[in-house]
Parts: sequence; structure tokens; C-alpha cells
Amino acid sequence: MTASGFDATRPILLLIMLVLALGGFAVGHPGILSPDNLNSMAVFGVEIGMIALGQTLVICGGDSGIDLSVGAIAALSQVVLGLLIHAGLPWLPAVLLTLSAGLVLGLVNAVAINWFRIPPIIATLATLFGYDGLALVATGGVNIDLTHASPRFLAIGQGYALHIPFQLLCLYLPLLLLFVYAQHFSRYGRALYLAGSNELAARLAGLRVARLRGAAYVATGLVSALAGIVGAARLGTARPDAASHANLISIAIVVLGGTGIFGGTGSVIGTALATAVIAVIDYGLSYNDFNPIYQAGMIGSILIVLMLAENLVGYRRSRTR
Amino acid sequence: MTLSITSVSAAPPGAPRRIRMPAGREFLLLVTLGLLVAGISAGSRGAFWTSVNLNNLFVSSAITAIPAIGMTVVILTGGIDVSTGSMLGLVAAIGGTCFAAGWSLAATIPVFLATGAALGLVNALLIIQGRIPPVIATLGTLSIYRMLVFVVLGSNWLTQIPPALTTIFVMDHLWFLPVVAVIALALLIVAALFLRHFRWGRHVYALGNNEEAARLAGIRPNRIKLTAYVGLGLLTGFAALLTLGESPMVQTSTGSGFVLQVIAAVVLGGTELSGGRGGMLGTLLGTLIVEVVNDGIVLLHIQPFWSGVALGGVILVAIGASSRRHVMENQA
Amino acid sequence: MPHVELSGIAKNFGGVHALKGVDLSLDLGRTHALLGENGAGKSTLIRILTGAITPDSGSITIGGVQHRFRHPEDAQEAGIAAVYQEPAIYPHLSVLENIFAGREITTRFGLIRKEAMAASVRPWLDRLELSPDLLEKRMSQLSLGYQQLILIAKALTQEARILIFDEPTSILSASETDRLFAIINRLRADGRGIVYITHRLDEIPRIADQVTVLTDGRVTGSAPMGDLDEASLLALMAGRSSRDYAEPLRHRERAAGPPVLEVEGLGRAGYYQGVNWSMPRGIVTGVYGLVGSGRSEVALAVFGAMPAHSGTIRLEGETIAPRSPAEAIRLGIGYLPEDRKLQGIFAAKPLEANLTVNALRSFGRWFGLDFGGLHAEARRLMQHYAIKARNPATAIGTLSGGNQQKALFARWAGRELRVLILDEPTRGIDIGTKAEIHHFIRDLAAQGMAVVVISSDLPEILAVSDRVIVMRGGGVVAEASGDAMNAEAILAAAIGAGQGARAA
Repeated sequence: MTASGFDATRPILLLIMLVLALGGFAVGHPGILSPDNLNSMAVFGVEIGMIALGQTLVICGGDSGIDLSVGAIAALSQVVLGLLIHAGLPWLPAVLLTLSAGLVLGLVNAVAINWFRIPPIIATLATLFGYDGLALVATGGVNIDLTHASPRFLAIGQGYALHIPFQLLCLYLPLLLLFVYAQHFSRYGRALYLAGSNELAARLAGLRVARLRGAAYVATGLVSALAGIVGAARLGTARPDAASHANLISIAIVVLGGTGIFGGTGSVIGTALATAVIAVIDYGLSYNDFNPIYQAGMIGSILIVLMLAENLVGYRRSRTR
Repeated sequence: MTLSITSVSAAPPGAPRRIRMPAGREFLLLVTLGLLVAGISAGSRGAFWTSVNLNNLFVSSAITAIPAIGMTVVILTGGIDVSTGSMLGLVAAIGGTCFAAGWSLAATIPVFLATGAALGLVNALLIIQGRIPPVIATLGTLSIYRMLVFVVLGSNWLTQIPPALTTIFVMDHLWFLPVVAVIALALLIVAALFLRHFRWGRHVYALGNNEEAARLAGIRPNRIKLTAYVGLGLLTGFAALLTLGESPMVQTSTGSGFVLQVIAAVVLGGTELSGGRGGMLGTLLGTLIVEVVNDGIVLLHIQPFWSGVALGGVILVAIGASSRRHVMENQA
Repeated sequence: MPHVELSGIAKNFGGVHALKGVDLSLDLGRTHALLGENGAGKSTLIRILTGAITPDSGSITIGGVQHRFRHPEDAQEAGIAAVYQEPAIYPHLSVLENIFAGREITTRFGLIRKEAMAASVRPWLDRLELSPDLLEKRMSQLSLGYQQLILIAKALTQEARILIFDEPTSILSASETDRLFAIINRLRADGRGIVYITHRLDEIPRIADQVTVLTDGRVTGSAPMGDLDEASLLALMAGRSSRDYAEPLRHRERAAGPPVLEVEGLGRAGYYQGVNWSMPRGIVTGVYGLVGSGRSEVALAVFGAMPAHSGTIRLEGETIAPRSPAEAIRLGIGYLPEDRKLQGIFAAKPLEANLTVNALRSFGRWFGLDFGGLHAEARRLMQHYAIKARNPATAIGTLSGGNQQKALFARWAGRELRVLILDEPTRGIDIGTKAEIHHFIRDLAAQGMAVVVISSDLPEILAVSDRVIVMRGGGVVAEASGDAMNAEAILAAAIGAGQGARAA
């Protein structure tokens, strides 16, 4: 059985990085590998990890696909959720409505890009402004307190299942499996890959390229909303400025995970491993009393070093040939 | 963005060819700007035309316009730089630290410019020598520069900014314009002249139009790109200085969100992301539209949070309308 | 002594012999016409002559001095310039800037001296009878014909002594063509050497002094124009006699079934107008026409990729109007596009994915894919169509051109279709594989499909078709079957030469 377009090199590299990072921190601070700490690491990674799954599909679809509005969708969804709960809606319908809001926000991106043919970076830049603005407008810039929401709702971000954080075991991992399936084992994933690698050939072979790509943006809207919901439940608050760097970090994770920005390559498996690496390094640094803002800087450095290393090795190779 | 289905006989004899008025886009922008100004002055009962408001508008426009000049050139070459906001924050932090150490204004201005240029050089080298796609390279430096802001500042705010900075650039006027606006205009004109009338400028356009043809014609793409990114860094350094004149304080969030504003101004001005098309007049108008929208939201007592929504809407409508027109023309 | 002497030029691209030792000499003051179909090696030869690629072996001697071009600038220095059919331009720059890109005349400070540039190009514009007002226009505002003239002016300002025209008239109107010929003749009279590449036989007597035919990377005929009359020219070109397809298939004419695909009065402004096609089941219909005759565009309209503006398309009697290839495929129409790299293959993807891309629907299991089935299908197609690759997981981009083309053919041939349109099904591949594909094409028709073969390779059309439709200038100009299918008549109809055109 062959899965579509899976290349194992980068995932293996990332696994090695993951082990090294864990090992390195373990030597410095033996306590870091305690279950509690591992759980905290996981919680760190889950929200951005979900967004990165969607971002992988968007980038994989080609045509300079990119979604800069993911963080704004997460924030706006969180706000919608907060308002719905405050309006007295039970938590479950509120969550479902919020997810459909995320779907609609993703659909706006999809339509702007695939129907109106606005370059993705511009379209999602505009919706980033728009969604962030709406989140601020809706709340007046004030956080919505959700600590008194249903404990069942809060459990989404704070609970445990089998001693593992609920959002990791019951949300992220199933979602990951779903994305792996969609990307590597489904008709959709196969078609998206092909569309990403040669749009014209795909169209002339009967693939509906705009729909395929549009679906990736819609899926990204959906997972971004889910990430927003998890974040709100974890912190017991809905913030209009939540996840403000999610776009940059998610793109960095996707590229780190081996997805080429020109489309048609890469895997959500790589994305998941890259998320784990980032989560560990991030947590390790905070554990060592670094300022949390170093997270982004760290990710940026890793991204650049990795790209440089690859390009230089590739260049050497192509010159000696 | 559009597909050419027929590769061999893409344009047949006698096919109707699209002819566009060269100044059409600028004219449209001017009309948009006029309508916005008219609407806002009516809605604000003349508050738009007070000298205080105009002063604020010109100062903030200048601070956006100056890096937008560099961004226009970068986009014209077919590249992009998303690190500008972080870069501005880092330059402000380093310069602000110099001020805090008691350096004079005259001694510190070169620090601002040199730091900006150096950070631009880093971007340029990653893109040219490292051959990392511009979006990815500058995405990386965006987060690195922001991290370095924290390294420099710790958790402090810097407020020991010499008042002379504000006096000279913001309070003082030449004719009726604040000095910074005059400088921005001068830079825009110089940049436009260089783009139009100097070899360098024509090579920028040639590169963005057809990089392969340009290379074969003996133009050196790497040199042009180098000047573009370093130039943007330099201008960003200068903008950092001016930011401190506008509001004399450096904090860790200084400059965040700024790059989006700059790119929005450039793209609204009609410079195309694919490179080779656009220019400084458009960027000037794009900047003014962005800033007038922001200003109008304050004047009309709309919640300031609407500014993002308005800006996003303006971009979507403006770019969407023109892109959609392209698609129609290609299908028709 | 010839000014430029090429001898023994050979070039391989990944195992494909594009040129197999070509000799060519070019004189100043003469126009040398180079004939040959797509894939014969003309463009490779031109790219070598202009320094865009370096030959594997052979030598280039100019004015008695041996040259080795490593870069286009070297060829420019040596006085060689080319004007391509699709001009390589800077669309958003002015005409003047296009002419001088990279060679601007400036002051010491880099300030552009527009007046000086305009002054230096003006004599050449006069020579080409172009208005100096053109210089201020944006390049993309000009028609392709004018763009071409601008590039000629550019070559002249570079003091080119040898000018190469690569099918320059394929995109020009009749009056533009007349003007171009006048210009070429004047340039020749000035003592420049001209290389003129074309498909169009009618043009040759008007401008050529010497004619050379290139076939499959070899020179297969060369004669001074004075020695040729129309008949011998037609024979030289139509025969391309070294070509020997497996067997003459013309005599295997089969009874045509009822029409499956009918096109009536189809038109699209600027591309084609009033086109009628009727494609019966069970036979192969050849569509012959030069580049720009509208043949591919009509096919794209049938396939839903580039809609027509007027007219109707009927499939088995029912009017259809597919708006996308996906829709057309569902109706049972297949189309093998002409440009393998751009429109066909997914180079980095496995052979299996390339073979099954248009059949994913039938291997769907709810939302998933039946990988076992896909794999088996790929193996079946590989075996049936003799595609040589290690296994279905091999990236298609690593295969030879012939195997890539067979794979693309198999992609469509393996589907259940009512109509299959093959656009240049054997372009740029070796002769053995061509014959194999021709055989498969015959088989498809024998199984009852309506097969359409579009080609600018006349021997190919004759070898595979039961009947031929000839197109020129956006319309159908002739139809022929049986004994009326003779090379000279079809060629004459396609290029509009002589009066024996209406062979049907």
C-alpha cells in the first residue's frame, strides 16, 4: 500500500531533534521529564499544532498558498464563543456555533482567493485585519471572563483523560489522524498534492483545483476556531487579541516540518513532529526561566538555520554534479 | 495568477488586446481618497480640517510612507519583507538604549540608520546567498528581531527620549507641513526619480518583469536585490527614529503590526506582488488612504477597533475588484 | 566562404538525442530557411547558436574563428541575435526600455539618457518604418507583431550580423507578414545573414535563398532555392523522406460509425470561427493545421477548458456545454494536451499518481482511496502500453520523454471514454515510440472510440488517420479521406497554396 507523497527524511530528522532536545533538557534539569512537565509541554503545543495542520494543507495546495488570518480566526472564534456563553447559551451549542463561525471565516478566505483571485498573502492579510478588528469591536477590547462557564466546557482545556491532557488525547490526536488520513489516504489529499505540484496539468486532468484549495482554507478556518475554543477553555477567558503570532509560528512549523512553500510536497506528520520539537524547546526554555517571548525567536532561528543548511547542502550537490 | 491554457499559440492574430490607461489606477485611488476625505469631513463637522488633526495625519502618514518607499522597491523586484515591524522595534530599542545612556541626538541618529541598514543586510544575505524564499527568510528574522528587542530591553520601557527629537521632526513646520512629512515627501520624490530616470531603477523594474531575461541581458539581480533590502532597512531605521519623535517611548511591542500597515499601503497603491509593476505615486496615495481611514475612525468617534475591519475591507474590495476584472478579461 | 559554419553539432537531453551531428553554413547577404516539425531540433539548434545552451560536441566557426559560447552575451558579442515567436519581453516597461534593458545609455552618475537612447535607435526605427512615437508605449500595449518588430530593432542596435527568426509569422496577420518580409529582404540587402525558421511552405519562395530541412535531429535535405520549384519543394518538405512509419495505414480504412462528437458553427473571437467538426466512432480523424490555425483551441472548447463564444457542441446528439474539464470528462470526453511538461506531467510525482489522476473518482471508497486498486491499475497500464520504469512509484520526471508521453497517453487511453482528442500525441519523442503510440491509437478506434488526432506532423496524420480535417486561420478549409488523402494536397490546403486545396 502506498500513501500519497510521503517522504520520510524530514520526519526522521525531526525525531532526532526531538530526542536530542528532550535529552538535553533532561541532563540539565532531571525533573523536566516528569509526567506533569510533559503534560504542560503538550498543552503548549496543542493549539498552535492544530492550526499548523490546516496551514499544511493550505501551503501544500500551491499557488503561493498561505493563511495569515489563522490567529485572527482563533481570536474571533474565541470571542464569539465567549459572547454566546454570556448570552446564556449552553456550552455545547455555543461550541458548535463557534466552529461553524470558523468555517464561514475560512470560506471567506477561500472565496477571496479562489474566486476573486486575490493573491493569498494579500487576501488573508486583509481578513487578518478584518477578523482581528471584529474581535475587538465585539468585545470593546475587553477580555470576556469564562471562569464561571460550565466545568464541562473548561475541561476541554484543563481536564485530563487517562492522565493525559484532554485536548491532546481527545482533540489533537484524533484531528491529527484525520488530517493524516485526508492528506495521505484520501482522494482529496491525492488531488490536492497533484494540484499543488502542477496546477494546469491538474485542471486538464479534470481536477477541480479551486475547490480543492478552497477546502483547505475552510478546513484551516475550522481548526483555527477549534484552537481558539481550546485556548479559551484552558485560560478561562476569551481574548480578542489571542493567538496573535499564530500565523507566523504555524507557517514556521509547517516549513520546519518539511512542507515546501511552493506546494505539492510535505506532510502533516512532519508538521506534527515539528510541533512537538517546538513545544519541547519552548517549554524547556521557559523551564530554564527564559522569557516566553523567546519562543518565537527560537522558532525563527531554527527555521533559518534549517533552510540554510538544506540549501547549502543542495547547492554543493548540484554544483558537483 | 491566470492560467494560459494554450502554451504554443497563446495569442492569436487579431486577438483583442487589453489596453489600459497608465494612470487609471492612480486616478481611482485619488477619487477614493477624495471620497473618504469628503465623507470624514462631513461626518466630523470639520474636525478633519483642524490643524491638530492634519498634523497628526501627516506625521503618521510620513512614518508609514518612509518604509513603504523601501517596501515598494522590494516588491517591485518580486520580493517581500515581512520583518519590517520587528526591525523597527529592534532599531528603536537599540537607539533608545543609546539615548538612555546619555548619547546626544546627533550621535544617535547614525546608530538608527546603521542598525536598520545592517538588519536589512541580514535579510538580503539570507535571501540572496542563503537562497531562502523572501517570505520565509523574513518571517524568520521577524521573530528573531522581536526576540532581540526583548534581549535589549528586558522588561523595561525606555522613556528617556530627547524632547528635541519631537520638536524638530514633529512640532516644527516647513511651510504648513511638519518636518517629517516634508522629509517623507522629499524621499518619495527622490525614490520616484531614481526608479524612473536612473539605471538602477530601470533594472529594478526589469528584474521584476522578467528575471531570467534580465539576467541574460547582463543585469545582476543579486546586486539590485541587495540594494532593495538594505535600502528598506535603512528607511526602517529612520522610521524608528521618527516613531520615537511621535511618541517618545520604546516598549517591547513597538512596531508590531506595523509591517501589515506598510504592505497594505504599498499593495493598495497598485504595486503588484508579482513584481515589475507599480510605483511611488501609488504608494503615496495608498499610504494616505490607510492613514485617512485610521484618522476617520477616530474623528467619527467610531470604536477604534473598527480600523482593522475598515482597512481589511478596503484591501479586499480594491484588490478583489481589479483581480476579478483580470480574470473576466482573460475569459472573455 | 560562409560567415558562420556549424559542423557536427550534437546535443543530448537526458538520453534523448535532440541533435545528432548537424552541419549548417550561413552566408552574409542570404536568407537561409530552416524547415522541420516540432521536435525536429530546430529550437535546440537556435539555442546553441545564441549561446543559451552549449552543445555536447561540434564546432561553431564565425568569420574563420572558432567560437565557444558559454553565455548569451558571447553570442551577442559575435553578432548573433534571435527574434522568437513568443517575444521575451518586459511587459510593463516602455518600448525604449525594452530595447535597452541591461545596456542603458547613462551619464556618469547613472542617470538615464533617454534622448541619447532614442537617438541611437531612431535610425533603425526608420529603417523598419516604425514611428518613433512607439518608444514611449508600454510593451504590453503592442500587438505581438509590433513586439516582434521592436525586438528586431533591438537586435539591430546590438549590431547583429546574423539574425535568426523563429517562426515569426505564426502570430502575424497577412499585412504584418508582408511588412516583415520587406524588412527581412532589406536587412539581407544590407549584408546581414538571415536564418528563417518556418512551417509555412508558401513563404519560402518569397524570402529564402537556401532551404534546409531538419528531421529528428538530422539534416535531411538542403538545396539552393533556385534549384527548387513548387513541386520539388513540396516533395522535400512533405516527404521528409527519411521518416518511415511502420506501415502505411491509409488502406485500412474502416466504415465510419455514426458521429459521436459534433461541433457546429463554433466560434471564439480571435481564435476560430464557424468551425464544423463531425467525429464518427470507430475511426481516427486527423486534424491537420499549422500553429495558430485554431485546432487546439477548438479541442479545448470541447473539453471545457476554454469556452467558445458561439456555436453548439453535441455529444451523441445531445447538446452539451462543458464549463470545465472535470465536466467534460464526466461526459466521456478526454483530451491529451500538447505540452507535456506544462500541461501534462506532475514531474516529481510517482508514475502511479500520474497514470491515475483522472480516474481517482473510480478508485474512491467513500472519502478514501483504494491504493491496491490504483497500484494494480498502474501496473496494468504500464504493461499494456509498455511503459519502461522500475515500478509505479518511480517519479515520472525521471523517465525518458517517450515513456513520459506513453504514460500520458495511457492516462487517457485507459479510461472509458466516448471521445478522445490527442493533441500532438508524439511530439519530441523518438521514432520507435512514435510508431508504438500510433499503433495504440489505431487500437482505441478499433474498440469503437471516436479518436481525434491533432498534429502538425503530416506523415503522422497520414499514418494514423482514416480521414483528415484541415484547418487554417481559424476555420476548416478541407476534408479528405481515402485516396484524396495525399500529402501534397493536404499541405497545400493547410498553407493556402495553389488551387488544388479543396481535396474533399
